Amino acid sequence: MMHRKGKKRTGIKLTAFLLVLPLLLTGCWNNRDLNEINIVAGMGVERTEGGKILLTVQVVEPAAIQSTSSGKGKGGSSQPKPVFVESCEGETVFEAVRGMLSVIDKKLFLSTAQILIIGENLSRDGIGEILDFFQRDHEIDYSMEVLVANGATPREILEVETDMDAIPAVYIKGTVENTISRGTVKKTMLIDLIKDMGSRGRQLAIGQISKTGENEIRTEGTAVFKNGKLVGWLGPYETRGYLFATNKVKSAIVNVPADKGKIAMEIMRSKGKINVTFKNGKPAALTVKVKVYANVGGYEGRGKLDPDHLIKLEQSLAEEVKKEILMALEKSQKQYSSDIFGFGTNVHKYHPMYWKNAEKNWDVIFSMLPADVRVDARIMRTGISKSPVKKDE
Amino acid sequence: MPGKTSKQYKNGNQNIIHDYTQISASEPIPGTIEAVSARLGEIFSDCCDFITREISCGRNGQIKILVAYINGFVDKRVLNQDVIHPVLNFLSGTELHEGSCIYERLKKCVVINNDIKEAGDMQQAVEGILSGETLLFIDGESKALVIGVKDPRGRQVEEPDSETSIRGAREGFVENLLTNTTLIRKRIKNPNLKLEIMQLGKQTKTDVCICYIKGIANEKIVREVKERLRKIKTDAILDSGIIEQFISGTRLSLFPTVGNSEKCDKLAGKLLEGRVAILCDGSPYVLTVPFLFIESIQTPDDYYDHAYFATFMRLLRLMALMVSTLLPGMYVALVSFHHTVIPFKLMITLAASRQGIPFSPFIEAILMIIAFELLREAGIRMPRPVGQALSIVGAIVLGEASVAAGIASNLMVIIVAITAICSFVVPPLIRATMLLRFVFLAAANFFGFLGISFVSVVVLIHLCRLRSFGVPYMAPFSPLTLSDLKDSLIMVPIWAMLTRPKILRQENARGAKGSKRQELKTRP
Repeated sequence: MMHRKGKKRTGIKLTAFLLVLPLLLTGCWNNRDLNEINIVAGMGVERTEGGKILLTVQVVEPAAIQSTSSGKGKGGSSQPKPVFVESCEGETVFEAVRGMLSVIDKKLFLSTAQILIIGENLSRDGIGEILDFFQRDHEIDYSMEVLVANGATPREILEVETDMDAIPAVYIKGTVENTISRGTVKKTMLIDLIKDMGSRGRQLAIGQISKTGENEIRTEGTAVFKNGKLVGWLGPYETRGYLFATNKVKSAIVNVPADKGKIAMEIMRSKGKINVTFKNGKPAALTVKVKVYANVGGYEGRGKLDPDHLIKLEQSLAEEVKKEILMALEKSQKQYSSDIFGFGTNVHKYHPMYWKNAEKNWDVIFSMLPADVRVDARIMRTGISKSPVKKDE
Repeated sequence: MPGKTSKQYKNGNQNIIHDYTQISASEPIPGTIEAVSARLGEIFSDCCDFITREISCGRNGQIKILVAYINGFVDKRVLNQDVIHPVLNFLSGTELHEGSCIYERLKKCVVINNDIKEAGDMQQAVEGILSGETLLFIDGESKALVIGVKDPRGRQVEEPDSETSIRGAREGFVENLLTNTTLIRKRIKNPNLKLEIMQLGKQTKTDVCICYIKGIANEKIVREVKERLRKIKTDAILDSGIIEQFISGTRLSLFPTVGNSEKCDKLAGKLLEGRVAILCDGSPYVLTVPFLFIESIQTPDDYYDHAYFATFMRLLRLMALMVSTLLPGMYVALVSFHHTVIPFKLMITLAASRQGIPFSPFIEAILMIIAFELLREAGIRMPRPVGQALSIVGAIVLGEASVAAGIASNLMVIIVAITAICSFVVPPLIRATMLLRFVFLAAANFFGFLGISFVSVVVLIHLCRLRSFGVPYMAPFSPLTLSDLKDSLIMVPIWAMLTRPKILRQENARGAKGSKRQELKTRP
């Protein structure tokens, strides 16, 4: 009996002990009210002329957003702005984040940041340092979109006001996410960037953002990096070629020249694969195999869409896609000699022995290799009518 | 309140109890009518509702009988028609010398009423009178007849206010014990439906009836119920709620281990499952034991409708139970700790509604919940006509003004409203959830989700340990009884419910904690 009682007591003690243990776990500890934080919607980093880091944040004013959404008809200039933009300088990003507290009243809450805009100057100097902070800090959300500003400072971009969304950062993020159906900007989440930083044989490529008007931005193109430093840009079509090759296109519109006009093809599905072919233990060519499935979206040509015509169309679609891919390859090989496609990763994976020696001057080897691009296009559906709406003349 | 008064009696007016106990100690009935009359007069002194009448009858008026009863308790017309009239008729031609035969003949063939008992001593006689029966004493006897001509006056059987349902019988129990037993018997026409009566309460001598179906109910539980009832030592049983507190084995738990119901069909169902019911005279609430957790999300309607709907409703009720305990805590944890898990858009809405609120979410939640509980309590206590005014004040003050004044956020009002609605979905656990809500709130305020999960674990452990009359409270989930799952969260159609709940029949249900282990130990 005594024994059982003793057992029971140790049981209780053990349970109590085990229950107390989780209290020692780290986690979100401090009780902080939503009133006591500044909700950051977007961030920008740039290097000043003095060599310091300039951090810019776009902070949401929740109350103003509610009043703008509920009382849109009122208009008037006295309405509070839904966001404010504030900048602060510092030797490091973290210092700038804390330094910000001398100009704003509440602590910055970075988890909600939707976009991170990296300035051109900083990109040219290298982004490795600042990425480390964003990777290390526990508050940063890894699904944040990263963009490189072209022709404007991050602050200028974050200060853009738009009618489409009360919060510009959300608007910008939306345009980046649209890449799913256009494929002209490289969508780069922070987590992808961190992964790419660590991978061997692949250079960084980040989406590009530029300011096209006073209150207009455009997310198109790609910033090409080499060894963590910005070396140049890819245009929208080159970007698409790049995305076709790296299997990142979900949907896109490709125009195919026809007899008297153009046919808009809607890419429904696309599969891309890259490889490096070896000959005699040495890389011989860069191969890119892409298979696209498309629908006829708009037909401005002449003649019926009969099978023969469709086969021709398929060929010219393949031709068109191939052209874009070649454009992207050409630029990254000849102009930037930066392997953003990740051919090097392929070599590292399948020819590790060769990679060991070649890793250091892979850039040079990469830029010398001939390219072999094969595109296979299939047309799935033509829509309701076989002939164009416009009658033949 | 009853507990307090009984204590006062015990301390202050000891002699009254003393007096009374003296009479009740099997004191013989004195042989003469004068003595009986005097004794009764002494016992019922200062009782204006006590009536005695001596009647002289027989050929020469030599035979004297005494009738004693409590005014208002007996049906006088029945008394006169069925008892007094035939007795007088019979005795009018009888001589005294026929002696003791009179008593036997009165008992056996004269009195028309069927409900006749014999009082062998003073105590039985007095108890009979007090429980509404009529005492008939014949001069020279040492026994008296106790004739039941109770007037069954009381509230009519009507639809219970506390438990309403869409389908099913509208009849609810009333205060009168006999009416209640009839209501049960009407539904279960079976001699195995046993109704055992006992009296509880030193002062009130309340009739308490244990009801079960022999052969279906577990004998061990029946015995346990009787034993626990017998152990009750108190002055007053004014309501079944008092019995409930005495017999529920777990006095410190927030969760009820004794169920109660006002609905006859529900009770019949419980009896047929093998449960034991305890009826208490003067209370329309009938207790059922054992009461398990799952019963709080079962309703009689479930069995009268399609099983799909019943299943859906049960899942909904479980959800409501969770929401009503956890929601305020979750909200507080979210807005004060775990901002990272809130979606961006929702966060802006949250932050906007929190803007300018001077209190922390925790204080805000406590204030709003207390305000709501106050309203609810006031709604119960208030005279009904005033209730409407109260609800207007509540809606305006709680809902509108507090938000407009910037004391509470819009979202908090919504949260408290949802919590309140959900808490009404599961009535048996309404008190438990009400208190647990505060515990969860406090835990959430200090430790966030960690605190919530911590308290949840503690509550779950407690629930799994809890037993109602030896039956595990969380059955059929813990211990897992596969066949009983048919009528748990997911309900199978009624035609597929072939067996009664197994857990109630378990032979060693009481020792279930170590039953298997013990068996193994004793075997070799």
